Amino acid sequence: MPESALEIAERVLQAAAGEEAVVVAHVERSGLARFAGAEVHQPTLIDNAVVELSVVREGRVGVAVGNRLDSDGLAELARRATEAAASMSPDPELPPPAPPAEFPEADGFDEETAALTPHEQAELASSAIGAADGFPVYGYFTSGACEQAVAATTGLRAGQRFTDATVLVLAAAEGASGYAERTSWKVTELDTAATARESVWIAGRTREADELEPETYRAVLEPYAVSELLEYFSWDSFNGLGLLEERSYFSGRMGQRVFDEKVSIADDALDPRGLPKAFDFEGVPKRRVPLIENGVARGVVWDRSTAARAGNGQESTGHALPASARKWGALPMSLDMAPGEAESPEALAELVGDGIYVTRLHYLGIVEPREGVITGMTRDGTFRVRAGQPAEPLVNLRFTVSVPELLSDVLGLTRRRLLVNQSEFYDERYPTAALVPALATACFTVTGTGSGPGV
Amino acid sequence: MRDLCSSAVEAALAAGASYADARAVVRRSQAVGTKNGRVDDLSDVETEGIGVRVLVGGAWGFACDRRLEQDAARQTAERACDFARAAPGGHDRALAAIEPQQGAYRTEVVRDPFDVPLSEKVELCLRAEEALRHENVNVTQAALRAQRERKVLVSSDGAELEHELVECGGGIDAIAVGDGRYQIRSYPSGHVGSSAQAGWEYVEGLALEREAPRVAEQAAALLRADPCPAGVTTIVVDAEQMQLQVHESVGHPTELDRIYGTEAAYAGTSFLKPGDLGALRYGSPLMNITADATTPGGVGTFGWDDEGVPAARKPVVVEGVLRGFLTSRETSAKIGSGTGGSMRADGWSRMPLVRMTNLHLEPGHGPVEALIADVDEGVYLETNKSWSIDDKRLNFQFGTQIAWEIKNGRLGRMLRDATYTGITHIFWGSLDGVADPEAWRMHGLTNCEKGQPGQHAHVYHGAAPARFRNVQVGVHA
Repeated sequence: MPESALEIAERVLQAAAGEEAVVVAHVERSGLARFAGAEVHQPTLIDNAVVELSVVREGRVGVAVGNRLDSDGLAELARRATEAAASMSPDPELPPPAPPAEFPEADGFDEETAALTPHEQAELASSAIGAADGFPVYGYFTSGACEQAVAATTGLRAGQRFTDATVLVLAAAEGASGYAERTSWKVTELDTAATARESVWIAGRTREADELEPETYRAVLEPYAVSELLEYFSWDSFNGLGLLEERSYFSGRMGQRVFDEKVSIADDALDPRGLPKAFDFEGVPKRRVPLIENGVARGVVWDRSTAARAGNGQESTGHALPASARKWGALPMSLDMAPGEAESPEALAELVGDGIYVTRLHYLGIVEPREGVITGMTRDGTFRVRAGQPAEPLVNLRFTVSVPELLSDVLGLTRRRLLVNQSEFYDERYPTAALVPALATACFTVTGTGSGPGV
Repeated sequence: MRDLCSSAVEAALAAGASYADARAVVRRSQAVGTKNGRVDDLSDVETEGIGVRVLVGGAWGFACDRRLEQDAARQTAERACDFARAAPGGHDRALAAIEPQQGAYRTEVVRDPFDVPLSEKVELCLRAEEALRHENVNVTQAALRAQRERKVLVSSDGAELEHELVECGGGIDAIAVGDGRYQIRSYPSGHVGSSAQAGWEYVEGLALEREAPRVAEQAAALLRADPCPAGVTTIVVDAEQMQLQVHESVGHPTELDRIYGTEAAYAGTSFLKPGDLGALRYGSPLMNITADATTPGGVGTFGWDDEGVPAARKPVVVEGVLRGFLTSRETSAKIGSGTGGSMRADGWSRMPLVRMTNLHLEPGHGPVEALIADVDEGVYLETNKSWSIDDKRLNFQFGTQIAWEIKNGRLGRMLRDATYTGITHIFWGSLDGVADPEAWRMHGLTNCEKGQPGQHAHVYHGAAPARFRNVQVGVHA
C-alpha cells in the first residue's frame, strides 16, 4: 500500500519536532489527454506528492514546500521552514494553528474514476474526437485522484480523498466554433461523445457571423459565462481580505440589497453535485456560506488570519488557501448560484426578447475591482436574440460590464444548473467548479467587436 | 541527474520510442512579502522530478515523477510510451533536424540571491514599505523573489545539456481607497514587480526605497484625479505598458503552435497564418520586434531551449513586416523553415510548449519628450493595470494605473481609470514614434500562462515609450 497523505504529514510533523507546526500533504496521480484536430498532442501523466510545512514561533510563521519525502528531504524542509520563521517579524494578530475538529461528510471520491488507466483516459478523449464526426475538435479529457491531509501540533488530523474528471470540447473550423464541457467527480456521469456533439451542434450555427453595434443589450448568458464572471468577481468581492482592504464591492454594503432579488449565491463545498471537500488548507471544516440571499449581501469567505483581523467574533469559514498563497486572502472555490424557474436558456431568450445570447467568455480582465468592472470577449457561440428566439450568429464581442449592474436586473434564471470546471490545472491539482444556472440580464454592455468565430 | 535522464531515454527507446528526451529539474523558489509593516509571505519552495517526452509511432507521450531514482526514471519513460501508444489520431510528426548539442549554461551572478539572508530581504521590504507611507495610502506592500533552477536535458538526438538559471526581482505597491474609489500605483511594474536572470545586484539596482515616495504620492493623487475621458485620440504609451502590448499582441500571436491550432481550446489561436511569413504588414515601418534568447539578464535567456536547440536572436517583425515565428522543432518541420528554439517547460511536470523567451520592441529615435511634444491633444499612459485580448489576438483592451492629459505638446492633468482598446494590426499600423535607447527599459514577467495542464512561463521584454494615433480611450462599463 502506498503511504497515505496523512502518514506523510505525520512524518513531516516528526521532522519538525520541537516546533509548533502545521503540515499540508497533497498526493496527485492524474492524466490529461489534450487534443487538437483529431490528435492528442499534449498527453501528460503526473505522479507527485508535495508537502507544505508551516513552522510557528512566537507569532512568526515560516513556510517551506518540498516533494523530497525521504528523511533527509524532510529534515531539509524543516530547516528551511524554521529559518523562514526566524526571519519573520512577530505578528500579534496571528492566530494559532487550527484545533482538532469534527469534519463533515464530503463524498467526492469515486473508485472508478481513480482507477482510470492512461489507456482509458486516451480512449475517453478518442470518443469525443470520434463523436465529432470529422468536425475538427480541440480540448481534453482529464481525470485525477488526489489525497490531501492536514496535521498540526494542536492534535488536528484531517484527511480526504477526491477525484475529478472533465471533458472539454471546442469544435472549430474556419468561421465556425462551438463549445461544451462537463465535469464531475464521477467519470460515469460524463458523456464525452455527447459533449462533443453539443459543441459541434453549436459550431454549426455560427457561420457567417455578423458584427454588432456597441451598446448595452439584454442578454442570455450560458452557465459557462456565468461561472467565469462570478469567479473573477469573487476574487476581490467575496474575499474577506478584499473586504478588509476595501477593494470588495461589498465594502460598506453588507446587509444591503445589492442585486436583483432573484439572485442568491453561496459557497458550498459540501454539495455532492459539486466537487466536494471536507476542509480547507488550514484544516478548518468546510460549510455552506451564504454570500447573497435574494439580492441582499450576507457575507464573504474567511480564513483564520483574515477572520482574526476582522474581529467582532468573525470565524474562519473554511476557505484558506495554501500557506504559500495565503497573502491573496480567502477565496470561494465552490460557488453555488441558486436556480430560477426558466425551463431552458431558450426560455430565457423569450424573456430577453431583443438582445444577445452568449455561450462562453474569453480572457477576462478586472478593470476596476471596487465596482466589479470586468472586460473580456465572448466566444464560440454568440448569437443575436430577436423576437425571443436565438437568431443569427455574431462575431466575438468585447464587453465591459459592471457585474453588480449585470446582476441588478436579472430577467430570469434556468431551473437546470451546470457544474462548470474552474480549474486550469496549474501547479498541484486541486479541482474546483461552480454550480450555476444560465441567466438573463437586462444589462450587458458591448464595447467593441473582435474576430469571427472559429480558428 | 544526467545518468537518470540517460536511463530514461534508453528505457523509452527500448519501449519503442523513435525519439525521447528526459529533463530532470530541481527548482527552488523563495518569496518574501510585507504588507502594512508586517511580513505576510515568507515561503521557500523546492521541488524536483523528472519528465520524459517520447514519440511512439509519431504520437507524443509525456509522463513525470517526483522521484529522482533509476527505477522511477525508467518506469516514467515506459508510462510515457504507453500513453503515446494509446493516443488517438493518424500521427505523422517530424522534428526539424539539429546538430547534437552538449554543454552547460549558468547565469552569471555577482551575489547569489540565496546567499542573501532572509532577514536582509525582510528588512529591505520593510524599508521600502516605510518609504511608501502616506496619509492617504491605505495599503502598502513590498515583495521580493528568488529562484534557482538546475536542470539536465538528455535526448535521443544526442543532447546532453545542463542549466543553472538564477533569477530574482521585486516590486512595491501603494493602494489608496476613498470615496468609493480604489487606486493602485506600482514600481517597477504592475503585477508583482519585475525580475531578471541575475544576482541580488538586480534587486539592489531597483532602488525600491528611492522610488517609493513618488509611487505613494501618485496613488493618493489618483483619488482626486478626473477619470480619463472617452474618445479617439493620440496616445503615448510608457515602456512598461508597451512591454505588455508587445507580449499580448505580438508575442502570443506569433507562436507557431497557436497558429496551427494546438492552443485553440484555451489560450486561443492567432490572426496570423503560416503563409503570412514575409508578406503580412503587421504595423508601421517603425515597428521592429526581435526574439532574443541571448539577452543578458533576460528571464527568457538560456543556453539551449527544452528541446536542445541553441539560443539565438531572431527578427520577428522588421520595419512593420512579419519576418519570423516563435517555433519548436515540430512546428519548424511543419512550416519547412528553421529549427525551433522557443520550447520551454514549466518545471519537470509539464511538456515543453512554444513560449516567448525575451521579446523586444527595438528602440527608435529621440527622447520621450519629443514624442509628447508632437501631440496637440492626447493621453500619456503608464503602468499596466488590466489586460484582455481576444482568442485570435486581434481585439485588445488595456487599462493603466495612471495617465496624464497631453495638451499642446505638454503633459497636463493627471487622469485615473484610463483604458485603451484597438485591433492589433490597425493599432500597430498607427505607430508613428518610438523613443530612443535612452528611454528603452526591460522588465521580466513571471505570470505568462498557457497550456493544459497550465504552465507559467517567465518572459522578458524591452521597449521604449511609443506613440499611436487615432486610438479609442476611456472605455467604461
